[in-house]
Amino acid sequence: MAQFQASAPTYVLVVEDDPILMMSLVDFVEQAGCEPVEANSVREAIQILETRTDIRTVFTDLDMRGSTAGMQLALSIRDRWPPIELLMVSSQPWDASQIPSRGVVLGKPFDRRRIVAAIRAFAA
Amino acid sequence: MPPVTLPPVVSDPARLEALESYAILDTPAEPGYDDIVALACRLCAVPVALVSLVTGDRQWFKARAGFPACETDLNSSVCAYALEQPDELLIIPDLTADPRTSANPLVVGEPFIRFYAGAPLVTPEGQVLGSLCVIDHQPRPEGLTDTQADDLRALARQVMTQLELRRALLARDLTRAKERRAYLAREALRDTQAALTALGDDLDAVLRTIIDGAMRAVPAAEGGAVQLIDGDALEFRTVRGTLVPYQGLRIGMQGTLAGHCATTRMPQRMADAFTAPYVNRDLIAPLNLRSAVTVPLLRGDTLLGVLQLQSGKPEAFSAYDLELLRLFAGVTTSGLGEVTAHAGMRASDTFWRGLFHRLNEGFVVGEVVRDEAGRVTDWRYVEVNPAWGELLGVDPSTVVGRTIRAVFPGIEDEWVSEFAQVVETGHATTFTRQVGSLRRWYEGRAFKLDGERFAVIFLEITARIEADARRNALLSLVDRLRDLTTIPAMTQAASEIVGRTLGATRAGFGLIVGDVEFIDIELDWTAPGQGSVAGRHRYDDFGNIRAPLQRGEALVVNDVASDPRTRDDASTWQGFDIAAFVHMPVRERGRTVAVFIVHDVTSRVWTPDELAFLRNVADRVEVSVARVRAQELQTVLNAELAHRLKNTLAIVQSIAASTLRGVTEREPVEAFERRVLALSRAHDVLMQKSWSAARMRAVMESVLCMQTDMDRFALDGPDMDISPQAALSLSLLLHELATNALKYGALSADAGRVRIGWRTEGSQVPTLVLDWSEHGGPAVTPPSNRGGFGSKLIRMGLMGTRSATLDFDPVGLRAEFRAPLAEVQVLVH
Repeated sequence: MAQFQASAPTYVLVVEDDPILMMSLVDFVEQAGCEPVEANSVREAIQILETRTDIRTVFTDLDMRGSTAGMQLALSIRDRWPPIELLMVSSQPWDASQIPSRGVVLGKPFDRRRIVAAIRAFAA
Repeated sequence: MPPVTLPPVVSDPARLEALESYAILDTPAEPGYDDIVALACRLCAVPVALVSLVTGDRQWFKARAGFPACETDLNSSVCAYALEQPDELLIIPDLTADPRTSANPLVVGEPFIRFYAGAPLVTPEGQVLGSLCVIDHQPRPEGLTDTQADDLRALARQVMTQLELRRALLARDLTRAKERRAYLAREALRDTQAALTALGDDLDAVLRTIIDGAMRAVPAAEGGAVQLIDGDALEFRTVRGTLVPYQGLRIGMQGTLAGHCATTRMPQRMADAFTAPYVNRDLIAPLNLRSAVTVPLLRGDTLLGVLQLQSGKPEAFSAYDLELLRLFAGVTTSGLGEVTAHAGMRASDTFWRGLFHRLNEGFVVGEVVRDEAGRVTDWRYVEVNPAWGELLGVDPSTVVGRTIRAVFPGIEDEWVSEFAQVVETGHATTFTRQVGSLRRWYEGRAFKLDGERFAVIFLEITARIEADARRNALLSLVDRLRDLTTIPAMTQAASEIVGRTLGATRAGFGLIVGDVEFIDIELDWTAPGQGSVAGRHRYDDFGNIRAPLQRGEALVVNDVASDPRTRDDASTWQGFDIAAFVHMPVRERGRTVAVFIVHDVTSRVWTPDELAFLRNVADRVEVSVARVRAQELQTVLNAELAHRLKNTLAIVQSIAASTLRGVTEREPVEAFERRVLALSRAHDVLMQKSWSAARMRAVMESVLCMQTDMDRFALDGPDMDISPQAALSLSLLLHELATNALKYGALSADAGRVRIGWRTEGSQVPTLVLDWSEHGGPAVTPPSNRGGFGSKLIRMGLMGTRSATLDFDPVGLRAEFRAPLAEVQVLVH
């Protein structure tokens, strides 16, 4: 889907420990015209961010094993890599004051239109 | 069906009499009991709970949850078997397997009950009235958990407390009526005595005074007569009421009630003239004589006549009435004696002194003390009787000649001003008032004597006032606890009520740490001027006091300086302004987990009634805390369930999307995803009320805002609570309509709008009518085919009623849906 873009692809790091949900998240990233980079755990996501500099957006599930892992990842990304944009999905109500600045949280089940629009907005 | 053998205790007369004493059978439902069964259902996780009272021939339910009938015959009773074991729960894991219940109509037929657990309702006297039982439609081999069993017992105690309260109120009303009666009788007697002393030798005046007094003291009397012996007949000398026309009537001594009384010189109570042996039957009708009390009038050994009261109703008089009449006869005798002796003397000083001494009531003669301006500022004791000393706790011989302000320093001003008023105006007055420094309440009557003197006759009513205060406190505690939702708020409310009711200086609630090693006292209530003791304290720093609390008994100390358990540490206690205290344990699973504490700055004897009150408060707080914990747990479970449901729906979306990856057209996939989303939005709204109901408008808004801006919709109708099924149906229906409107209808144009209106129609079977009307969009043409899932869903209508009318008006689509209101709406209180 990204081939019609003239410039280099826009990479989105997708963090999700459930393989079935990962398929959907990847699908949304591709539909938004971006290139997904998959991480199956928070640790793997940090490793990727430490070794690559071309990630502009992180798309993470907040419901991962170790209940608060997703939110901790988001907070440490905002701390260590301030320019990276954050898109999050969650099945639980969230406290707006806890969300890192510029971060966007969307609920589950997925609203494809909003998710794709949010990825596009960050990639633009 | 084999014959049912009920335990013999069911028909035990003592048990049935105990049940009768609560006067509870066939009374309307009350929220106090309803709350308990609702809580029992929740705590034991069962659909049915009952407060069941077992009579000799039926079981009647004071409260019921999940059970249709308000009573059943004993054939269908399981609770009857609970009566056999007052000390333990009756648990039957599978009613079909127990010989006592396998043939029970409620087991073999509707509603097919399977599991039963009942906690006996035991009176303080040990009689079992019935049970608080929980019932399930599934067998439960594991029975109840220990916690559930504890909870059921605690709730059964609460049922008994409610019942006891009811019985106490009945008994109080009865006692009050009796006291009132006795008070009126005493007043009548006293007035009669007073009047007699003022009369000279006018025989008829004496008799009039006496019969008026007797008629006043015995309200059941319709007529009365003093009949004096004249030769061998009795003459109606003074008559009242229905006997007024018979002034001067003479009746024989033989075969009459009065004659029998005069002959035997014994008081007589005739219950019914139709069956009584000594009555002149010819007189029954004209005198309207059906029942009577008659007493002889004697002077020394000389018989003067009889005093008789009568009624046209049978059984009008009690033994008490006869007693009263004897008292009046005694007064009459002394009056007549003087009259017949032509003594012309007033009642002798000795007579009055004797009466004065024997009275159970306190009696005071006082004389007001005036200042230079002539205002009454105090009063002096002239005379008091022995009962006065007992009722005030002061030696009577020490007070005569002193003033009340000197005897009771700091006494309330009303004790002076009210009696001053009596002397100034001459009007008698009644009072109910406390002597604060004694903590005792009195009720009495003050009347003027002569000059500056007055007399007071009174009784102590402290026990009654305090019992009333405790009852009212428990009632207000129940109300407060029902409204409060957090545990600290509950313990604070209870502390304040306990402190005020017991007149203590401090009250609070503390959590026990370890095996009664430490206590963490939460914010406590204190009387004005007292400091808080909130914080952690170590029990061993305060004496050897842990043992009773470890056993689950109350720790009661009347005086820290003399109690062997605390006297060595008395100064520690006094440092906290504590001279007397109670720690009342709150138990959970056989352990003391918290205590109610009450302190007093002065030593005092904690009465059994006060301790019972505290026990009761502790029980109530325990039950309410259990209720709050159950609700908190439910909220957590609901949130967890919502979270899992949403995550699962996301997984369903993913599975569908990847399963349909080969489908080149993406539109059906997206339509599916959005339908799942619409369903989930309805769940979000339902979750706010724990899936029991949802607000109609909130359901509509949450599903419509997913599609486009809300300002393109106009919602017009009464908001209401709708059922979970209705919420899901409504959200899917609106989702399809809005999707179509966006694609082909009004919402596909910028200026297009949709109006959604709803109303109820019909009074017999109310119907909800929902209108969807589009306007401002492109011209409408009817669809050429029957359409897919979306169109089918729309034709199914609300709640699947298929009552859907579609009008493809070129101006804009109009659709009308109908469903029975009863299926849509739920009533939430």
